[in-house]
Amino acid sequence: MKFPRTSGGFYAWLFQRLTGILLVILLIIHFAITHNFPKGGGVTYAAVAPRLATATWKVFDLTFLVCALFHGLNGVWMVVQDYVHSETAQTWIFYALCTLGLILLVLGAITVIPFKA
Amino acid sequence: MAEYIFRIFRYDPEKDEGTKGRVQEYKIEVEKGWTVLDALNYIKWHVDGSLSYRRACRHGICGSCGMTINGKNTIACEQQVADLGTQVITVEPLRGFRVIKDLIVDMEPFYDKLYAIKPYLITYTPPPTDKERLQSPEDRKLLDGKYECILCACCTSSCPTYWADKEFLGPNALMKAARFVLDSRDEGWEERVNAIDDKHGVWRCHTIFNCVEACPKELNATRAIVELRRLMLKGRL
Ligand code: HEM
Ligand code: SF4
Repeated sequence: MKFPRTSGGFYAWLFQRLTGILLVILLIIHFAITHNFPKGGGVTYAAVAPRLATATWKVFDLTFLVCALFHGLNGVWMVVQDYVHSETAQTWIFYALCTLGLILLVLGAITVIPFKA
Repeated sequence: MAEYIFRIFRYDPEKDEGTKGRVQEYKIEVEKGWTVLDALNYIKWHVDGSLSYRRACRHGICGSCGMTINGKNTIACEQQVADLGTQVITVEPLRGFRVIKDLIVDMEPFYDKLYAIKPYLITYTPPPTDKERLQSPEDRKLLDGKYECILCACCTSSCPTYWADKEFLGPNALMKAARFVLDSRDEGWEERVNAIDDKHGVWRCHTIFNCVEACPKELNATRAIVELRRLMLKGRL
């Protein structure tokens, strides 16, 4: 079967699911390691900072950040597509969400990337 | 014989215009074996001739009497009064559509969605014999649970996504689309894909399952939507 046009929502739908699955996995790792789940405790600067300074953990946190931002904002975008009927308003909200995502991505990145213990 | 109170939504465009309509109560004796449609007929013929609703076959095949009974969409002719389990029974028009009068709603938007997916067999190659286009029993089986729809609109009217986005194709049109797309004889994919793959098409479904619960023919529109998505996913990857 041929697909003659780009979709009206295929990629938004697909990546909402992919990032959803990734979020479950990343959340489990995040809780297991950072929060020492299920025992809990140990979230002190001395315990956490050295790990946050490693390249592996920086990649992990950036992936987490990208997934959560995309998933959350794309989710809002899906709600907007259902409830906002004016195409013009939708377009404005779309770019506002993109801008918000970009700002939060930069804020997250400058927190994660240069971190030293 | 048992006494029931029917609380029926009333809207007369000549008297009630600009209002949200009203509720009228009818206390009637219901005979054993009556469906809600039998009760409505009794009210119309013996109590209040001004009550308006659609009905035709009273056999669960014409799809005319779709309505909301005790909060649940179904066809009135297949709903036994005794099975409802309440003495007070509310009857409302299908939500999500404009009320024309009492229990009669404007079905035009529902049919528009159906036309959008071209609900008929589309072919370009001539049939192998001059009699018919044959289909294997296995291929025919793929259409089970999709072709039996009677167009009562109970599914689309129960869909919260449709309530929010009136341009959403809705479970009915999407299931009909699957019914033709999955038909081994059909060659109309190119002509249907734009509607299915549209912004208001198959990707808008949030898997709420209201349509599955509502369908009086026990069809599963959500599964049909998932089958369409799977096809599109395969086609793209
Ligand atoms: C724990 C892992 C998660 C999984 C498996 C997951 C999965 C999903 C799925 C499948 C959808 C689409 C539902 C639909 O069809 O409408 C969705 C929607 C959504 N998600 Fe998540 N999600 C997760 C975490 C999150 C997080 C952390 C956020 C917030 C940042 C979030 C925010 C949203 C929003 C706003 C929507 C749109 C609401 C909706 O469509 O119902 N999700 N999620
Ligand atoms: S799928 Fe079921 S509920 Fe929907 S219109 Fe057809 S028969 Fe009615």
